[in-house]
Amino acid sequence: MSETSALALRPGRLRAALAATPGVAYILLLMVVVFGATSKYFLSGANLLNVGMQSAILLMIALPMTLIIMSEGLDISLGAVLTLCSVVLALMLVRGSGLPVALAAAVAVGLAFGLANGLLVSVVNMPPFVATLGTFGMAQGLALAVTDGQSVVGIGETVQTIYAGGVFGVPIPIAFALGSYAFSHWLLYHTRFGSYVFAIGGNREALVLAGVRANLYHIGIYVFGGCMAGLAALLLTARMNSGHPTAAIGIEFDAIVAVAIGGTSFERGDGWLFGTVLGTFAVGVMRNGLNLLGVPSSLQVVSIGLLVIIALFVDGLKQRT
Amino acid sequence: MPLDRGTPVLELRGISKLFPGVRALDDVSFTIHAGEVHMLLGENGAGKSSLIKVLYGAYAADAGEILHHGRKVTIASPADARRLGVAVIFQEFSLVPFLDIAQNIFLGREFASRVPGHIDHRGMHLEAAKLLDLLGMEQDTRTKVHRLGVAQQQLVEIAKALSQHASVLVMDEPTAALSEHETDRLFKVIRRLKQEGVAIVYISHRLAEVFELGDRITVLRDGRKVGSLLPSETTPDELVHLMVGRAVDTSYAREFCALPGELALETIDLGSDHGISGVNIEVRTGEIVGLAGLVGAGRTEVARAIFGADKVTHGEVRIFGQPIGGGPDVSTRRGVALIPENRKQEGVALIRSVQDNLLLASLARLFPRGWFDPAVGRRVSVQKIDELRIATPSPLRLVRYLSGGNQQKVVVGKWLNAGGKLFIFDEPTRGIDVGAKAEIFNLIGELVGRGAAVLMISSELLEIVHVCDRAYVMRGGRVAGHLRRADLTEAGILRLAMHHE
Repeated sequence: MSETSALALRPGRLRAALAATPGVAYILLLMVVVFGATSKYFLSGANLLNVGMQSAILLMIALPMTLIIMSEGLDISLGAVLTLCSVVLALMLVRGSGLPVALAAAVAVGLAFGLANGLLVSVVNMPPFVATLGTFGMAQGLALAVTDGQSVVGIGETVQTIYAGGVFGVPIPIAFALGSYAFSHWLLYHTRFGSYVFAIGGNREALVLAGVRANLYHIGIYVFGGCMAGLAALLLTARMNSGHPTAAIGIEFDAIVAVAIGGTSFERGDGWLFGTVLGTFAVGVMRNGLNLLGVPSSLQVVSIGLLVIIALFVDGLKQRT
Repeated sequence: MPLDRGTPVLELRGISKLFPGVRALDDVSFTIHAGEVHMLLGENGAGKSSLIKVLYGAYAADAGEILHHGRKVTIASPADARRLGVAVIFQEFSLVPFLDIAQNIFLGREFASRVPGHIDHRGMHLEAAKLLDLLGMEQDTRTKVHRLGVAQQQLVEIAKALSQHASVLVMDEPTAALSEHETDRLFKVIRRLKQEGVAIVYISHRLAEVFELGDRITVLRDGRKVGSLLPSETTPDELVHLMVGRAVDTSYAREFCALPGELALETIDLGSDHGISGVNIEVRTGEIVGLAGLVGAGRTEVARAIFGADKVTHGEVRIFGQPIGGGPDVSTRRGVALIPENRKQEGVALIRSVQDNLLLASLARLFPRGWFDPAVGRRVSVQKIDELRIATPSPLRLVRYLSGGNQQKVVVGKWLNAGGKLFIFDEPTRGIDVGAKAEIFNLIGELVGRGAAVLMISSELLEIVHVCDRAYVMRGGRVAGHLRRADLTEAGILRLAMHHE
């Protein structure tokens, strides 16, 4: 008997492997099977690509959200900040700025909000929910104020082609998502900054005693979130072909859902970045599949709530066995 | 005659530190020489921790100065201390649970690679493996720290301090969680560091260690230095006398139980999903039965299986003749009380009051109608505070402000209120100072005097020998042997625990 077949046949191994697989993977699989069976179009290449494209922006928010939640934090301002960045980007383009300048402005706005969030949480020591609730309101209000509540249109061809274009055959939004994941992975698992994210959530005192300026890194986590929102604004603006003052409101909810079902802990400084990718897909597949089945968007929100509960329930079950 | 030892590496002169209402340190002077182990003694609250915090830059002293190789320095932050070559092994673990062993050892001092910010993981794991090897620890350095037991976490903490190649190494009760074998290894490492010229400040509650390791002893009491001695010129009794300011018998003595009562606990061929098997133990009322063994021998696991916290996979547990199954709630109702090792995490709610903690396990019994009656709550808790002599200004005092010994009493009081009849103590004196230890044992003695049965887990052989009526010794998840009162000696326990027949 060869060694591989011995492995495959041993029930203990199989059970261990099943137990090690996070709940989100099963749920993703289940959804693919169910939607694949109920909608002919679901499993087509064009639709799956569509899911990937739609998930790209969410992933760019969910990745930094993972780090923020690992640090025992939360950032509910990210959706509003992303929206504001998108509006700023569109306004700059409409007024004739080049894309690099406009994008830099958008990222700078994101960075400023990240910095504000980080300072409030780490230096002022505010509860993250309260601090980012405040900046959420500010970002949302500013987005409405600078646009008078209207869409900013006429951003030109360049940005549109970004959404439709590709590099080496990979659509640009997908390339953005892949790049963001690669960068986040490197940041979390291969840099000092990443180790300190684990430390801030797991035992902040240990970090301070090690002579590290924990506040600096704590702020950095939120700044990372803000900058990612600034970058994601490019995709959002390109997709909408305009800057809309409520474009991405609520995306922070989906991002938190993606992080939670991806297996990141809210209180122990433990996180799993690839789990967030799976979680993001789960949310994307859910929305896409329900759309194809013609489920109204209000009910989609209900089912995403259900998704969180089922995913965490499955993980809880596995911990007990 | 003390030799001329040259300029001290570090000298603290006239250090004072005030907190509202408390003089934590009062004009304390302290010198640390290269190649010396300086033992720092004192009861809890004597000022040892404050002194170390000043040394490490966590507290700023209100008066006094610090000299480093004869030059005046300020230590305003942990980073300053580190620059001067001071490293501390903390008693409260300063580890990050979801980072691995290597990342924890080098936290804040990660190896840089050529890419900015990038960590050289390979180099760190190689270095970490060397340090673990030195301490005789066989874990993979990629293991996340939250998967390690207390003793192993302590070893990681020690490795972390060693990795700093410090010239002054401060150890705050490093052996509190270690088995005898691990302690021996640590002592070897300390002796080697000494030869290499490292200055070591060593805090311990174990007097035997003081004489085994120390080159110089400083005793603190109530924030003041009350003695500076050489081990060759003093005795354990003198040290204890200095620490508490009165003579206390270090070896706690009680009248052993001649006629045990009814069978309170019986395990029959007990096995659990946490690695114990074939465990047969009996405890009768009126008895204190020890459960000895090295760390990791399965003692805590036996306690958890009896309590129903771990799943019983084999055999059964009988409490007062009745087999029990189900979880801790069933055991609690039958009168089993588990007082865990990790008091702060599992035993008491630190941020709640003494009264809340005392009533926590008996709310249903005291208030059957479901609502809280403040008068009853107050009466019951005051009664327990008096009975157990819990030193607290009021029942409403938060438990975290009490000393370790008094916190332990609160836990016992909680279970007494809940109708506990079989008490299982897991390392009841861990982190408790000499004076309070005797009090804890008095408390345990009182419990059995009132007809309770006690099973006591301890890593300190002397505690088992002095306190218990008889003891079981565990090794590798099984009971390796049973020692009656007459055969109960340190050597006898060690032989069974380490398999040196």
